[in-house]
Amino acid sequence: MARGQVQEMKKSRIILGLAAVSALVLCFFSEQTVYAGEEPIVLRVCSWEEYIDLGEWDAEEAIELDNGRVIFGEKPLYEDFEDWYRETYGREVRVEYSCFGTNEDLYNQLNMGDTYDLVCPSEYMIMKLIAEDRLIPYSDSFYDKQNNNNYYIQNVSPYIQKTLESNEINGERWSKYAAGYMWGITGVLYNPALVTEEQAATWKIFGNPKFNRQITLKDNVRDSYFAALGILKAKELTDEDFLNATDYQERLADVMNDVSPETIEQAQELLNELMDNVYSLETDSGKADMITGKIVANYQWSGDAVYAMDQADEDDFELRFAVPRESTNLWFDGWVMLKNGIREDAGRQHAAEAFVNFVSRTDNAVRNMYYIGYTSSIAGNAQDDTIYEYLKWCYGAEDENEELMDYPVGYFFSGDNSDKNYILQSTVSQMGRQLYSQYPPEEVIDRAAVMRYFDEDANKAINQMWINVRCFDIADVPMGVWVALLVVLLVFIGLRYWKSSAKTLHRL
Amino acid sequence: MNRFRFQRSQLCIPYGLFLVCFVLAPLVVIIYYAFTNGEGQFTLENLIGFFSSPNTIGTLFYSFGIAVSTTGVCLMLAYPIAYILARSKMKHKAVVLMVFVMPMWINFTLRITALKEILTVVEGNLAYHPFLNTLIGMTYDFLPFMILPIYTTLLKLDNSLLEAAADLGADTIQTFLKVTLPLSVPGIISGIVMVFLPSMTNYVVLDMLYNSTYIMGSLIGAYFSAYDWHNGSMIALILLVIILVFTLFTNRYADEDAGSSRGGVIG
Repeated sequence: MARGQVQEMKKSRIILGLAAVSALVLCFFSEQTVYAGEEPIVLRVCSWEEYIDLGEWDAEEAIELDNGRVIFGEKPLYEDFEDWYRETYGREVRVEYSCFGTNEDLYNQLNMGDTYDLVCPSEYMIMKLIAEDRLIPYSDSFYDKQNNNNYYIQNVSPYIQKTLESNEINGERWSKYAAGYMWGITGVLYNPALVTEEQAATWKIFGNPKFNRQITLKDNVRDSYFAALGILKAKELTDEDFLNATDYQERLADVMNDVSPETIEQAQELLNELMDNVYSLETDSGKADMITGKIVANYQWSGDAVYAMDQADEDDFELRFAVPRESTNLWFDGWVMLKNGIREDAGRQHAAEAFVNFVSRTDNAVRNMYYIGYTSSIAGNAQDDTIYEYLKWCYGAEDENEELMDYPVGYFFSGDNSDKNYILQSTVSQMGRQLYSQYPPEEVIDRAAVMRYFDEDANKAINQMWINVRCFDIADVPMGVWVALLVVLLVFIGLRYWKSSAKTLHRL
Repeated sequence: MNRFRFQRSQLCIPYGLFLVCFVLAPLVVIIYYAFTNGEGQFTLENLIGFFSSPNTIGTLFYSFGIAVSTTGVCLMLAYPIAYILARSKMKHKAVVLMVFVMPMWINFTLRITALKEILTVVEGNLAYHPFLNTLIGMTYDFLPFMILPIYTTLLKLDNSLLEAAADLGADTIQTFLKVTLPLSVPGIISGIVMVFLPSMTNYVVLDMLYNSTYIMGSLIGAYFSAYDWHNGSMIALILLVIILVFTLFTNRYADEDAGSSRGGVIG
């Protein structure tokens, strides 16, 4: 190739490059002008995995309710939110949706500098975040029932709202910072062919030698500690005087949040004993192990219990759910806004609150419940009975031949359990089954206690207690192992000695 | 003209950067956390705490127990296999070797899940033999890492040495004990290193086979999820030191043996 040609090519390359750069710059500027002042709001949402409807339902999955509404998930709910926000408020919003694995993971992520605007942790983590002054309270307009777009305050269950309002930390009511999303209780999922309800409806089942190595506990300190407290305090908790006390709820909450050093020590001893009786500790595998029959009972969250029962039903295998008579742990996850995400951006806070409202719209709550399997904190209202209709759609009596029962759920839907509008006609077979787990009867709810966030010291103590339970105690090493070790050591030393003396001999 | 000169040593720059960012810097952070408390003050409490608690020291012992037995079982299984494969005049050696190594190509969780079901059928209830199950799981997982290095060293073994031993009147057992075995020590050592170290911390096997006892790896995780970076880092550091000592020890042993066997048969 001639020199001139090369030079010519170089030139044309430079020109091309310049053209490309200027085109990019132009593009950049023109984008800027189009969106000047109308930049989309970016909303960073972080929630549990598989904790929002992701759409893509099959056509036959559409839920047709008796009130004429058809529930169908086409797109992920957060994408529907973007459309809804544009149509309602005329502004672009883009949701960056991400997930976390455990409350502790979320907390660690926040500490390592991840910024989110809206997160959905569990009650005790919400308390921790409130106590550390990291949350922004919801604005007054969020609670304005007159505004038709305020779905949360219009639809939230009075029971959940009452719980949020009656609990506080450092004088701050939870309801100021948190909007309920999903909730449930803890109990025992059991195989009725091998375990009676009587045996299952107590935390003591985990120490029952009859089910040696056939039951599982949960692999986290809070759930296991709660069960331990249920056993340790069983006598007090089931005492008539205690049950009939006027301040029963407060006293129950205090007992189930006892973190005095003596109690923690007793719990450690007890859990050590339980470890020798249970099959294993699990987080997720328990459901499958119940269905395959490896275990006969397991500590379970109500939502997962529903899932396990549904799965077992498909195999014509019956599982049931019992709530311990001592007490049950009421838990819930709620949406909270983070200070270091929202900062003082009013637009972003508005979008965050709108997101909470959007997922609290009754049809969206049904979509989430259908997808996740847990119970939504949303109940609807007198004008919008979609949630109650969904309940009927799931559990209403259809088979005339079965024995029917009245199942009041008014405590959840209207705050009054004798409310005639909320007495579900279901079948007797639903007792101790899916309906019972998803919307427990009021007498079960009465003995529910929220497990609070413990302060630094207590938290450290129960974490250490748990580590001690999980670790292998050196005192448990069998004598034979020590003897064997000693023998090996002696043989080793002996061999070395013999070898070196043999070498010297050889040299001589 | 001051032209940029390429020097061979500059090839080290990427590796040097990697070393600083991903090896040295994290190490400094771990050491910092290990020797400080929540207020950032220097303390030896974490170190003393580890060695004075019967639980943490017990966990170390338990991890050691698992690692030692896994390595032992792997070695006992792997050596004969590797020996037969390397010495035999089999036509399709490569295929047979592949059969032993193939499990490595299948996803690890899938294999352990399958193993769990098989063990359940055999034992009835897994919870009665947690240690044995863990041992089986670990062995299943790490066996190929023991076979391969031993096989390679045995393959390289010079046949003339064996012939010489036979000429000088050694029988098969003597030849094996005094020639083959000492010469395959480097392979054994690298097999041990590859099995021992990961089996001390691989807690996924324990989790999946329902062994709820902590080993070193899960203990670190437990401290971290309780936001206790200090104790967690201290345990990581202790583990690091143990591994360092172990490696130095095995290296010395390997050198010694290689040295004495260089002259041929040990006298």
